[in-house]
Amino acid sequence: MHWPWERAKESLSEELESHLQMAIAGRIADGEDPAQARAAALRELGNLPLIADVTRERWGWIWLENLLSDLRYALRQLHRSPAFTATALLTLAFGIGANLGVFQLLYAVILAELPIPHPEEVVRIHAARTPFDQSWTVSYSAYQRLRVATPDVALMATAYAEDARLELPSRASIKASLAPVSDNYFSGLCVTPAAGRLFIQADAREGQGEWPAVLRYDFARNTFGSAGKAVGQHMLLNGRSFVVIGVAHRRFLGDITGHAPDIWFPLELQGTGAFAFSWDSLGPGHDVSLDKPWYNQNTIFWLSLTARIPPERRAAVLAHWDQVFRDDREVMAEATADPAVKDALLHLKIGVAPLSENGMRKRFTVPLTLLMALSASIFLVGCLNLANLQLARLNARAHELSVRIALGASIGRLVRQVVLEDALLVIGGSACAFALGRVASGILVRWASNRNALFMFDLHPNLPLAALGVGLMLLSLLCCSILPAVTFIRTGVAQTAGSGARIAGISQTARQRFRSNVLLGTQVSLSLLLSTMSGCFAATLVHWETIDVGMDREHVLIVRPELHQPRYTDHSEMLPELYSQIQQRLQALPGVRSAAVEMCGGIHCGWITALYVHGRNGLTNAQVHGQEDHVGLGFFSTLGIPILRGRDFSPSDTDKTQRVAIISRAYARQLFGDADPIGQWVGYVPAPDDHKFIIVGEVADAHVNGAEREAPPVVYMSINQNPAPVNSIRVRAVGDPRQLSDSVRHALYEVDPALGVSEIVPLATELDGNLGTEKLLARLAGVYGSLTLLLVAIGFYGVMSSRTTRRKNEFGIRLALGATRGHIQMLIVGQTVRILLAGILPGAILSILAVHVASHLLYGSVSANSLVIIAASLVLAFAGFVATLIPARRAAFADPLETLRSE
Amino acid sequence: MTEISNYQNRIELLQGTLDMLVLQALLREPMHGYAIAQVIRSRSGEVFTVETGSLYPALHRLERQKWVKSEWKLTESKQRAKFYQLTALGKKQLNTDHQRWLQLVRAIGAVMEPEAQP
Repeated sequence: MHWPWERAKESLSEELESHLQMAIAGRIADGEDPAQARAAALRELGNLPLIADVTRERWGWIWLENLLSDLRYALRQLHRSPAFTATALLTLAFGIGANLGVFQLLYAVILAELPIPHPEEVVRIHAARTPFDQSWTVSYSAYQRLRVATPDVALMATAYAEDARLELPSRASIKASLAPVSDNYFSGLCVTPAAGRLFIQADAREGQGEWPAVLRYDFARNTFGSAGKAVGQHMLLNGRSFVVIGVAHRRFLGDITGHAPDIWFPLELQGTGAFAFSWDSLGPGHDVSLDKPWYNQNTIFWLSLTARIPPERRAAVLAHWDQVFRDDREVMAEATADPAVKDALLHLKIGVAPLSENGMRKRFTVPLTLLMALSASIFLVGCLNLANLQLARLNARAHELSVRIALGASIGRLVRQVVLEDALLVIGGSACAFALGRVASGILVRWASNRNALFMFDLHPNLPLAALGVGLMLLSLLCCSILPAVTFIRTGVAQTAGSGARIAGISQTARQRFRSNVLLGTQVSLSLLLSTMSGCFAATLVHWETIDVGMDREHVLIVRPELHQPRYTDHSEMLPELYSQIQQRLQALPGVRSAAVEMCGGIHCGWITALYVHGRNGLTNAQVHGQEDHVGLGFFSTLGIPILRGRDFSPSDTDKTQRVAIISRAYARQLFGDADPIGQWVGYVPAPDDHKFIIVGEVADAHVNGAEREAPPVVYMSINQNPAPVNSIRVRAVGDPRQLSDSVRHALYEVDPALGVSEIVPLATELDGNLGTEKLLARLAGVYGSLTLLLVAIGFYGVMSSRTTRRKNEFGIRLALGATRGHIQMLIVGQTVRILLAGILPGAILSILAVHVASHLLYGSVSANSLVIIAASLVLAFAGFVATLIPARRAAFADPLETLRSE
Repeated sequence: MTEISNYQNRIELLQGTLDMLVLQALLREPMHGYAIAQVIRSRSGEVFTVETGSLYPALHRLERQKWVKSEWKLTESKQRAKFYQLTALGKKQLNTDHQRWLQLVRAIGAVMEPEAQP
């Protein structure tokens, strides 16, 4: 490489050389002897290289030149020890990358505010909890009344609608997630469009030929190429035509953390009946027509309210709303017979909650904080490991460094060279870490997500993330390089210089040894913590994945038919016959034990209901509320839910006969205690209409809401007595249910060629798909656990190798004096054992504390999890032991003559 | 290390004066380093011996300050050498230095020989 100063340097040496030549020539001209003249001229000139050095300093760029030469030297040094370089790079990349990845997620879930002006002004309005779902939703008419009452406050309403089928001309249809919003949603939040425009009041008009839609930025880009191109595009959503009027700002992902809708559209689309909205009501028996538009029904609660109110006006606005909302409270109170609940509902005041108080934050704050702590520990372990390796490396270079100091090298320059070498490593490692962090946060989001709903966060790099990254870089540079280099050069070098100082060197190494022992011990402690946590989380995940859910989780297949089409919904009286045909056809398949239809489409999908017992008054809400599901014949045998008392539904239960119900054990206990529920009359509403159904059976509890959730109280009704499109067909296989997918699809096609199947998935997958938090914790902690074992092994190997190398002579003498090889090995292994013991004890205490803190995320008691600590200690000890054995054997089997010869 | 600092000390001491002497030597014609040393020595009546270790750092410093500029040329004896030439800026600097020097000499003279004052 040719730097500008290389030329200048050559020029300078030529200049000095020419000076010398002229001086010699001058002396010869004065009559001196040539040989003498040369000697005299050289003497007069002085130390040529020194003159050149001093002259060069005048140029002012000497520092840069030195830096570059130090840099070259550092690169050579790194190149010379590829194992160390690779270890350091990987350690830093993982240590920093893991922290960045987890922090990115932590920031997005817990710390980030909505990317809108003054996000602190935007709050959720909690008017009243709905009778069954206990959600904070209100009716459309209540929303309108509240909005009109305070025209100067932006009160926005949102609803929840299920994903819809999006069709674009000449493209395969895809699923799109929806967010129905009021016309003032974007203007109230102060979101700006990336292209086109956002909703205005005229967009809420009903009966339009083409409805307006606003797209999420990334969705628009992925679907149409760019935000600009998306505007004006026409599309079909569940068969309704839409035109894209605009694209929201790039960073705006909706107001619910983690759930970014693809498409926003006006609330008024509910009236079309094309979309499945979530709702709650006063329950059966009240005046509710779900088929008619909901905007003029004050008994259907489906709108969540969000408002932008400056904090100082909040109290006045809420008080005013309380007045307006009083009538709606009275309506809601009709749903319950429980006087305490009624009273509480009527006296509740409208409240506000910050947007940050959401389920996502509640669910992930502790796990993510915990993971952040574990990530910090793994970073610390990595740093300690590198610091130790660095000390060992410096020890190996002690002789070289001391000779250089003796020759006049400045200590500052030496430290700079060592630090520069590590700065290169840190920079390289951090670059990898940033890339790794980006990938990692994507993977973490996927692990944390439920199977059916991938979370979506704003994972763009942000300032706090960059600050953390740079902070960790500097910290790692300080820990792994500057501190070891300074301590070593200040204390270690002088004493080890020259063979005469060897005695002094030994007394010094006692301190050094202690230092590296402390570092190793700390590493062991932290590693034990990480291994324990990974063990506990893995055990928890395995527990939830294998726990008895009260259903045959391994053999049941969930088939999702597309029955929500006019040809089925308009002729629901035909459905029982169709269900019977499907059941018979499927049961005729080889490998199928039984099949049944179910209203519920998967897990956690039964709706909340109330059952009042005939002849018993004064039941509280907590007693009457339960979950309802409508099932076909043979459902319980298909799911493997045992019938405890009474009978199953039978073909003779039709819509012409007495309505019957089967309740789960939990519901029976809630309503009747230990008394026999069979033959009891129940109804959806209190007396006088509380004898609509007769209970004919009681079944065992099943974890239908997910393996990790309690088995809920469930009442099962017969689908044949309430004909409606079902959301799933359950098939119980003899062997692996996955293998039945094709034949099931084929059989359904034979029964009804027009019947589509949207998805076929095993029950086990569905249940496991719900374990986002557990999976996130178990997998990440697992990665950390194995990483930390590796680091500890590398740490022990590195330190013990350098130690045995330094004690080679001592071992040679010991062997010569009659020590056995076993004795030498024991010496080294003994050291490891002491360090392990010293590290495991505090590590165990730390782990017990951590298990305590995380106990609600773990299955099993603290004491049961403490067993994991013992197991983790054993694994850790084994890893350390094996890593030590290699240098120990090398030392013990060295030839004593060979080692003594160098003495 | 100690040697370097010695050199630096000497340069510090001589700096102002040496710079002025070098600039003055170059006033009439461009010269190479050896010639500069010779000129200063002979003009001072062999009193000043300019050390190479001071001369070259000084020359390079002057060049960096753009008071002199350099060029490789052949000497009369066909020897390649780097010739230094005074720039306009250098002439101005020489003038300033010279004035200051005269002031210094007068002041020191006045202090040392008070009886010579009128």
